[in-house]
Amino acid sequence: MQTDSQNGSQNTPVIEITDLKVRYGDSPALNGISFDVHQNEILGIIGPAQSGKTTLLKVINRTLEFTPDTTVEGTVKLDGVDIDTIGDVYGLRQRIGMVLPLPVGLPLSIYDNVAFAPRTMGIRAKSELNEIVERCLQQAALWDEVKDRLNSLGTKLSGGQQQRLTIARALSHQPEILCLDEFSIAVDPVTTMRIEEVLKTLQAEMTILLVTNLVQQAKRLANRTAFFLNGDLIEIDTTDVIFSENPANQATYDYVNGTFG
Amino acid sequence: MNALTTRPELRKKIVLLSITVIIEGVAFIFFWSVLRKTAATHMQASSASRTSDALPNLLSDLNLILPMSLLAILLGIVCAFYLEEWLSSTSWIRRFIESQVAFLTGIPSLLYGLLAVIIFFGYAGVFKATRTTFQHNTALFYTEMLIFILMVIPVAIKATQEALRSVETPIRESTYALGANRWQVLTQQVIPRAFPQMLAGGCRAMSQAFAAAALLTGIHIWSHTTGLRGLPDRFMLFLGGALLLSNASSFLTEIYVPASTQQN
Repeated sequence: MQTDSQNGSQNTPVIEITDLKVRYGDSPALNGISFDVHQNEILGIIGPAQSGKTTLLKVINRTLEFTPDTTVEGTVKLDGVDIDTIGDVYGLRQRIGMVLPLPVGLPLSIYDNVAFAPRTMGIRAKSELNEIVERCLQQAALWDEVKDRLNSLGTKLSGGQQQRLTIARALSHQPEILCLDEFSIAVDPVTTMRIEEVLKTLQAEMTILLVTNLVQQAKRLANRTAFFLNGDLIEIDTTDVIFSENPANQATYDYVNGTFG
Repeated sequence: MNALTTRPELRKKIVLLSITVIIEGVAFIFFWSVLRKTAATHMQASSASRTSDALPNLLSDLNLILPMSLLAILLGIVCAFYLEEWLSSTSWIRRFIESQVAFLTGIPSLLYGLLAVIIFFGYAGVFKATRTTFQHNTALFYTEMLIFILMVIPVAIKATQEALRSVETPIRESTYALGANRWQVLTQQVIPRAFPQMLAGGCRAMSQAFAAAALLTGIHIWSHTTGLRGLPDRFMLFLGGALLLSNASSFLTEIYVPASTQQN
């Protein structure tokens, strides 16, 4: 666990969420949540299924727009700018790295998977691309396994390797914010530990939103932790408080201690 | 690319395809020779069935049909992209066109042939009083074009739409999440993945068109412009084309494996 004093700009809000409400058709997914995400922190987001964690991430990078029949109210500000008013939505998404729970290897070679985003941003120089691919694959703890077969298909990797490939891909466009949605779901514990170490070092460069079903992972990594339940933000506080004997809400205590429901 | 089956599987399928084509070819040639003999015995008095007359007719038919069906397929593909990628699934334009497409693709090609005959006679009837050969041929040309477009476009639209839908939403979403714009997603992810199926759809549309063309040669019997000259050859040409293209279409569909069912 890390302390707040580690980084000077820790308390500058980079994402400000105000009264965010999301509905899929008639069923509510988020009922008016408000909180800030601080610069260079790791914010753990925990909560049972259907509590709106993934929806929150999709609102932030505006991929929720692809789901038909959704209503979004409230504001999400990124560096003080309402994301709905950003005309260049593609530019917005380049600032946010996203790792989805089920790995989606693009049907390209391993190299092209990682080089995809830099190429869309206009980087063409081979040497520069090589450098980015190697750095990202190393950060995702995948380099040693695939360095000899960068030209084979990304979709042919095993599930855990594909997941790490998506992490490498999310890092490839050097995002300001990295959203990880249950990244360790298909990754073995040893590799998970290696990626967690990388996340701790990446924290110096970017803000990390970590949605996880493993409460212990949030405890290990997060500076602050938010507990979601049925579309409500029950509690957000420093990880120390959330995992202590007396968080503000009894439900939080029950959930992190596994006596929920 | 990854969308294709493994090599041993592919070899098996190519062997199967070859066997099918050979069997069809033998049956085809047999049928052709019978048809020619029959035609010859029924037209002894004229020189209509002389084989030397067949080639120019075949070429003029192909000259008409190939560009037209390619144009129709292209139009169908553009239309499918518009429906699938630009319009939302709740748009009433999309619903209307899709219902029409479903209706038109369900009609057997024989009915199109008959429709062509009816339209042709209805249209040509207008000129009856002052009919020249030129007007007659123009009427024939427009009828054929109309029927072709009516036949090929719906099939092309449907096939392309299915191909586009086969590209899973997560792939689109994760490409968008990397900051790619709509054009990049389309050209770098969707089209390469949907291409084999689109090709198969194009072949299927062409195959239908050729089958209809075989039927359309029937109009020429009534039209008097060409008489029975080379008719068996033309009929068989289109039938053969339809067979080959439908084989190609099923082959392309078979070798395509959706990514969701692919083994690691």
